[in-house]
Amino acid sequence: MKRNTLSYKVRQYLMFGGVGTALFCAVVIVPFIYGIYLTFTSWDGVSPHKPFVGLANYAAAFADHDYWLAMGRTVIYSVFAVVLINVLAFAMAYLVTSGVKGQNFFRAGFFIPNLIGGIVLGYVWKFVFNRAFVAIGTALAGGEQVPSLLASPKGAMFCLILASVWQYAGYMMLIYVAGFMSVSDSLKEAAMIDGCTPAQAMRNVTIPLMRSSFVQCIFLSITRCFVVYDVNLSLTKGDPYGQSIMAAMHVYNTAFTYKNYDMGQAEALILFVVCAVIGITQVMVGKKGEVEA
Amino acid sequence: MASLSLKHIEKVYENGFHAVHDFNLEVEDKEFIIFVGPSGCGKSTTLRMIAGLEDISSGEFKIDGVLMNDVEPKDRDIAMVFQSYALYPHMTVRDNMGFALKLRNVPKDEIDAKVNEVAKILDLEKLLDRKPKALSGGQRQRVAMGRAIVRSPKVFLMDEPLSNLDAKLRVQMRTEIAKLHERLGTTIIYVTHDQTEAMTLGTRIVVMKDGIVQQINSPEHLYNKPCNLFVAGFIGSPQMNFLDAVVEKKGADTFLDIAGFKIKLPADKAAAVEGYEGKTVVAGIRPEHLLDGRGKEKDFCTIKAPIEVRELLGAEAYLYFTLGGKQCTARVASDVDLYVGMEGTMALDLNKLQLFDKETELSLLWKEW
Repeated sequence: MKRNTLSYKVRQYLMFGGVGTALFCAVVIVPFIYGIYLTFTSWDGVSPHKPFVGLANYAAAFADHDYWLAMGRTVIYSVFAVVLINVLAFAMAYLVTSGVKGQNFFRAGFFIPNLIGGIVLGYVWKFVFNRAFVAIGTALAGGEQVPSLLASPKGAMFCLILASVWQYAGYMMLIYVAGFMSVSDSLKEAAMIDGCTPAQAMRNVTIPLMRSSFVQCIFLSITRCFVVYDVNLSLTKGDPYGQSIMAAMHVYNTAFTYKNYDMGQAEALILFVVCAVIGITQVMVGKKGEVEA
Repeated sequence: MASLSLKHIEKVYENGFHAVHDFNLEVEDKEFIIFVGPSGCGKSTTLRMIAGLEDISSGEFKIDGVLMNDVEPKDRDIAMVFQSYALYPHMTVRDNMGFALKLRNVPKDEIDAKVNEVAKILDLEKLLDRKPKALSGGQRQRVAMGRAIVRSPKVFLMDEPLSNLDAKLRVQMRTEIAKLHERLGTTIIYVTHDQTEAMTLGTRIVVMKDGIVQQINSPEHLYNKPCNLFVAGFIGSPQMNFLDAVVEKKGADTFLDIAGFKIKLPADKAAAVEGYEGKTVVAGIRPEHLLDGRGKEKDFCTIKAPIEVRELLGAEAYLYFTLGGKQCTARVASDVDLYVGMEGTMALDLNKLQLFDKETELSLLWKEW
């Protein structure tokens, strides 16, 4: 059998990757392309007719003041959340790879929040912010009722960031743990003998060699934060006064609450493009100078 | 450069494993000390204790008379070449070599001058702007050496630095290291499990087994006067032949009965087995001290055994045969016409014969280390 022919390679690919590719196309690629098509129509989500309207939906999306307010809030939320998630995840990874007693217990413990779905996690934190913190605050204030953090726009934003950091830091920690473990001990020892203090060894040797972990974690946290919906829904539901509505929630509301399916689809695509541009730019910049440990 | 003193050094890990027992060594300035032994003998652990990468459980380690037990590796003024080279993959060769100086806030001009000087010595000038990934194994090894040399430390530590190289390059680099030692006049402590490296490089060799020092002396001394069976077997390639021999006395003469062959011992060897009459000792003879004995029966004590395997190595050949149930090797010139199936007559060079107590495994001939 000739193994260099195109037909052989195609058959070989189909044998190993055919089913996966077909499924991926069916549930990701085709709906995505179909979704792009829908942004150029005025489909109401039910009718069999999909009148072509050109760029009208995009024009409406760009003119939607609330959408850009939500986008702005998403950017602010993402900046804080991404930084805090990665700082905390890196610190936790350092802790659980430093040989501290019970490090496996800590690894499991730090990862558990990621196993709790965003909806459940949001309700748990809602209880904590609305009941537990309020009760503690009231007790500390000598019985005077203290408002919940979720009652103010800034407080709600803080709560969203805190819940997201709690949710994602454990997952990112695992990637940083892999990064720490990929840096060989002999390199760290060589750095010590060369004259590094532990902090210098971390800055000059360990962190540069963990560049790929940083790229992956930052990419994942950016993309997850930009499309946050579940925690947003269960923790604040956009309140108070719609001041904590993030971009994804705004898109959902536009499409399914206000039945502007066409405009919602266009806003979703804009959100995707913004998220993709930021994520890909970060990966391209981060990948430069990346080396294997 | 520096002198080192290790007194009663012990290493016991938290799990109770005793890796190094009562290690004592005085290293003089400019010595090339080799730690040699099989895997797990504690040689690398001892080196790492000297480097400060492992804590010393008990004992005293001094450099130039200054106690170093609790001194950080960075403050010991040592440089180390690792088995894996441990070059920083994200830095160029130039940065790798200059990193230690940069940490010490040496001016950039001075760093560049030093790096260029060492690069010239090691023929690395054209590779200075490359990263380790773009280097061959031998080049990486030279960069690792260069990184150590640039610092002009008091002591060089080398942990099996040639073990990742192919056989040809290893021989070449061995020569390079010997030349560097000659040129730099540095104190070097070198760990290897390769006894050829130990013999060719070291001014003194420390032979270790199970964390215990077996013998410390010059390569010649270890080769000619091993103090026990382990050292005799470990030093020399192919390894020394060991045969059970019963001591017999006939009048004033002392004989060894080796698999039925009566070997008359010279006076000095006979004195060593005084009191062993009727007992079994271990006779050790190196393959190169077993000669083609045909026609030499009158002048030499000879033994006979059929040749089972012949290995031609070019200038010489190894002949394998069994004597008294033990596998033996003879190293002869390649033109000796003894082949598989032929009855080999081997003459023993009795001046080179080693004798060991079968129980204690200590040499009956050499008492000193």
